[in-house]
Amino acid sequence: MPKTLEAVDVAIVGAGAAGSVFAATLAEAGKSVVVLERGRDHKLTDLYSSQIWARRLKWAAPLVLEEGPDSVWPNFNSGHGVGGAAIHHYAVWPRYHPEDFRELTLYGRSLDWPFEYSELRPYYDQVQEDVGMAGDASKEPWRPPGAPYQLPPVLVTKHGEVLARGFAALKMRTAPLPMAVLTAPYKGRLPCIWDGWCDAGCPIGALANPLAVYLPRATKAGARIVPNAAVTRVLTDSTGKKATGVEYYTANGEAVVQPASVVVLCAFTIENARLMLNSGSSRHPNGLGNRNGLVGRYLMSHPAVSVSGLFNEDMQNALGATGGQLLCQDPFDKKSDPSGAFGSRQWEIGLALKPNDLLGIAMTRPDIFGKSLHDFMVDGARHMGSMVGVCEDEPLYENRVDRSTTTKDKYGMPVASIKYQISPNGRKLWATAAAEGVKIFKAAGAREAWTGPPGGQHIMGGTIIGNDPAKSVLNAVAQSHEVSNLFVGGPGVFPTSSSINSTFTAHAMALKSAKYIAGNWSAVKA
Amino acid sequence: MNLTRRAVIDKALKSSVLCLGFSVGGVTLMLTPEQARAQRIVLRTLKPDQVKTLEALAEALVPGSVKLGVTHFIDHQISADPGECLLIAKYLQAPVPYAGFYGTGLKVAEGMAQRTAGKSLTSLDGAALESLIKQMSKPGTIVDGFPIFLFYLCLRSDAVDVVYGTPEGFEKLNVPYMQHILPPEKWDA
Repeated sequence: MPKTLEAVDVAIVGAGAAGSVFAATLAEAGKSVVVLERGRDHKLTDLYSSQIWARRLKWAAPLVLEEGPDSVWPNFNSGHGVGGAAIHHYAVWPRYHPEDFRELTLYGRSLDWPFEYSELRPYYDQVQEDVGMAGDASKEPWRPPGAPYQLPPVLVTKHGEVLARGFAALKMRTAPLPMAVLTAPYKGRLPCIWDGWCDAGCPIGALANPLAVYLPRATKAGARIVPNAAVTRVLTDSTGKKATGVEYYTANGEAVVQPASVVVLCAFTIENARLMLNSGSSRHPNGLGNRNGLVGRYLMSHPAVSVSGLFNEDMQNALGATGGQLLCQDPFDKKSDPSGAFGSRQWEIGLALKPNDLLGIAMTRPDIFGKSLHDFMVDGARHMGSMVGVCEDEPLYENRVDRSTTTKDKYGMPVASIKYQISPNGRKLWATAAAEGVKIFKAAGAREAWTGPPGGQHIMGGTIIGNDPAKSVLNAVAQSHEVSNLFVGGPGVFPTSSSINSTFTAHAMALKSAKYIAGNWSAVKA
Repeated sequence: MNLTRRAVIDKALKSSVLCLGFSVGGVTLMLTPEQARAQRIVLRTLKPDQVKTLEALAEALVPGSVKLGVTHFIDHQISADPGECLLIAKYLQAPVPYAGFYGTGLKVAEGMAQRTAGKSLTSLDGAALESLIKQMSKPGTIVDGFPIFLFYLCLRSDAVDVVYGTPEGFEKLNVPYMQHILPPEKWDA
């Protein structure tokens, strides 16, 4: 018999980017809030400078099965523990463009969001005010309307300067990369020292991870963060129209019920869908809020191309931020790809490099080994340039998170099983980006340049928002169409992927939902 | 010897970044993989024949990795909870349990050597071993139903980790380590 705890106003599942925004906003609105996090606790002082150590910040359990043919790289793209994936994210924070919200209306394809950019803009602006952003809006011709950046742009080293030369030669524009990284003291936090350890987590709080901004606010306002709490199900009443709380297991295997007036799932894209699918009942035979069978559908990831090259200059590539120094969104127009493919692209330029790890110098040329590898490493440590092209992935019904029929986790719940294939348009955009990237590097003076294979950045979709209950899982405030006190946060709610990094928009969307809950409390919980 | 403050810090830095807990006689010693190898700490999972194959491959992939303890690094990590694994196999979505993945990978590599050269991988001369590794390193290569390219990527990366992923490794490349916080001594809590 599970132990039943005292009821709270809000139970949030997951202490990452979205969960921390919900927790801070609702606790500051006077609600009693508990945040249940599957992984371990993390403090800023746990964020050690090591790419090897950084692997313990990534997804750890339960197993995610992938049936292919492509991967969304769940272990690399997800987080585990307090702070979630945002604890190791790179803080590249451009805004989604207005056309990203209206693809069906404007182009007759893909999906629409249930609102326009203008409706999300105030939340982008508020989040920006909360975290402090570096950039130069005057140099971003592509930037949608928004509040000015508060801080000067991020560091540009020889690395950025040399690569910008290549863009200029091809008449492509670059701008300082908009980043949620402090370039000057801000609200008591210290600025970045440009040592390139973002992937291992920023222990000085210069990068806006949840431990630096929203979780301290949440706990100060009384929210309780419970690590090592593996939520297995959302519980509902006999009508199936109201969530009554969640069931979770403690680290020592004790089953616990946390009653709550409102439940918010912020366990990241895959787990949110899995939790809903695993929370079925007689009223929800296909999974919670899944009458239309769309929970788990429209899974997306950004097809990304890593471009590397060797130059004669000392590139100072160890310095800077992992996410890069400069941005180019000239290829953003969704109808302009030379292949005819639909969708946008962007370039993140001058990523700080480490010798090892998935994005390190050695992995850029996996074919080299033996003594040649050391020579390559020495050369690369001084002369390598790096940038990433990010491409849009279309929402495809076939791409989905499902429940495994063969494998269960240690609590007896089916693990997630993923079927994913990069959309045909995404694949074409990737090919264009790969060719363009090499051309840019050559124009910048690279003595050699090459690309890696298609990679998957970010994981989106699966619990999409929309106006039509027949065609979406959640409404415009990420509230279940079927269970009125159930909300979802994170990039899983996005109906389209854009080609823009998802974390800023996930924050803005979470703030929009949280403000709605706080402002409509009586109606939401009733 | 003039032991400066910087030298003391450097020494501490070098010895602590890849310390793992190795159990000896019921006592946990905090050692780098290199120290564990030098002290002949008993391996938990890998068998002697597997060690020979692994070390022949790893040394050919990244010279110096055997002395720096790649075998103990891998053995330590494939013996632990996959969720806590520090190997890049986790990022690359290698199938779990990792002990089985590495065991099969070594077996398949040995089988490739037997088929192509008629002798054990550990008996191959430099050119023959290089030729074998080139076969393994072709993207997407599957041998006997096993993703040998993925195994190659993992093993090469493990060897890169011990050779270049530490402050000493950065120093070999003249790259400043610039740490904020060093990992604690105990990594396998």
